[in-house]
Amino acid sequence: MKFGIFFELSVPRPFTPEGEHQVFMNALEQARLADELGFSTVWAVEHHFLEEYSHSSAPELFLTAVAAQTSQIRVGHGAVVCVPEINHPIRVAERAAFLDQVSGGRLEFGTARSSTWTEIGGFGADPDATKKDWDEFVHVLPRMWTEEFFAYEGRCFSMPERAVLPKPLQQPHPPLWVTVTSPGTELDAADRGLGCLGVATAGFAEQERRTREYHRRIQLCDPAGAVVNDRVSTLNFLYCHEDARVGGERGMAMMGHFGLMNAHLLFTREAYPSTAYQSLGNLAPPPRASSAPSPAEGPKLPEGMCLGDPQHIIQAIKHWESIGVDEVNFMLNAAEVLPQDQVLESLRLFAREVMPAF
Amino acid sequence: MLTGSADPGVLAAGAATMKSFDVESLRLEGVETLQVFCETRRADAEAFLPPALHPTLPPALTWTAHRVNESPWGPFSMAHCRIECRSGLRQRGFLRGGFVDNPEAAAGLSEGWGYALAPGQVDLQAGYHETRLRVEASGAQVLDLSLEDPAVLRPQDTHFVASMNLAHTPNGLRLVQVEAEFEVERAERGRPQLRGFDAEGWHCPGLEPTHPVAALLARGAVTLPALRFVCRPDVLAFTGSEKVGGAN
Repeated sequence: MKFGIFFELSVPRPFTPEGEHQVFMNALEQARLADELGFSTVWAVEHHFLEEYSHSSAPELFLTAVAAQTSQIRVGHGAVVCVPEINHPIRVAERAAFLDQVSGGRLEFGTARSSTWTEIGGFGADPDATKKDWDEFVHVLPRMWTEEFFAYEGRCFSMPERAVLPKPLQQPHPPLWVTVTSPGTELDAADRGLGCLGVATAGFAEQERRTREYHRRIQLCDPAGAVVNDRVSTLNFLYCHEDARVGGERGMAMMGHFGLMNAHLLFTREAYPSTAYQSLGNLAPPPRASSAPSPAEGPKLPEGMCLGDPQHIIQAIKHWESIGVDEVNFMLNAAEVLPQDQVLESLRLFAREVMPAF
Repeated sequence: MLTGSADPGVLAAGAATMKSFDVESLRLEGVETLQVFCETRRADAEAFLPPALHPTLPPALTWTAHRVNESPWGPFSMAHCRIECRSGLRQRGFLRGGFVDNPEAAAGLSEGWGYALAPGQVDLQAGYHETRLRVEASGAQVLDLSLEDPAVLRPQDTHFVASMNLAHTPNGLRLVQVEAEFEVERAERGRPQLRGFDAEGWHCPGLEPTHPVAALLARGAVTLPALRFVCRPDVLAFTGSEKVGGAN
């Protein structure tokens, strides 16, 4: 079992340049500590225009800073939006290879297509085409990285023969992932030999079903890249504290705030009915209504969430491990609901008490 | 989180009056529905919503029209304008104004579900190359829009959100949550074309539609359900929601 940290870079209102700066600096400090503590990967999303929820519009720059300030931890695009109106595929290939070079071959490369109208509409992209765009990107990017000269006549872009430079340090190329939000995308990942980067907090039963089907199908895949990545990761929230009640309360405050910000996104399906967007794409469903605690019991935690004392978190991760999950990526904060010192102490306690169990 | 900043008392001008929450669900068969989603100016995000609700980003509105051939009040056509919003975690549309061409339907929809609908001519004409909606009130045109170049969608590709209708109720001034259910049999999406919109006529003075996104034409049954929740307009839904009717 591997552990990663996952950044949305959410910023509380009122927005100020200093406030955004502090969020970015706090995240970098968390990444440096995660590197020291033995976490495997720092992931950063790509989002645009999502006020409060995510100000991570240039994750390759954030991850370059992470790479410069760390030595071991891998840097993960979680994920690049593979839609030509938002990112031209040549630029995606160049930036990713460059980041792999300057990080010393530490890049994990996630792919996505965006789920909000705020982003897709903002760039004037065609919602009906994003799935096809993504499919074309994941097939051509590995070729740009591995072929000395590359020429292409395609649907969403074409180019005459050129040398796409630089080439990645990792050979044949960095591991490829796809973010999985909507049910069924894990099958797209499996069919193309891509890692399954979970960004929705599914329950145990649903994750087990998806993981089982993913592992069955990827045996038969036609790889989009030169190498198959058959790993499954899930997204979780982390707040670890010696006192289970304190851990639960603070963790739930963070998770609840993130859920609220998420619910306020304008998903594509709401604005633009389309076969291409079959779900609203919720990234983090709110805690179930039945989890409302009685004052005597303390907070009742949603299934599988890593919020509480070390023993509770070990049990939750053991369960994820038992259903085939290879990596758990943690959100550590949401719009600075938790003070930075509490986030850092939670990371240290997790490394001290939980990591040795795996 | 951004929240609405409009004074509920001002928004209540022309609001419906409901004597009770005990309305039975009403299923309307063979309804033709046109819904157009349109972004509005960013500065409008909070100004048209009460403090209970949050604007979407970007802010947006929908115009929705129904042509109903059979109902307890006879045939009728109605159109309403809603500001897209969030109530707590939920997607909602805040009703700002509407028109209906049948006085009995106006009374029934007002008393039962809190729809404030003024008398008007609602003309919804569905064709193979275009569906056009024109609304006139007091001799003036207040809306003219169309769906062009329709393409077939699957019924499950459609998406509708519940309405929050500000009304005078037995609990006081409240947002009445109407979770209309759509059983879509046929659906088409097309390019929206906005030709005219009199914002003042829809109780949205100053509201500027900027970017029509999509138009949806759906045919099927629409059920106006029994009421389950209302919400105070002056506080957030987390604290202001009240169970009514059959809610448990």
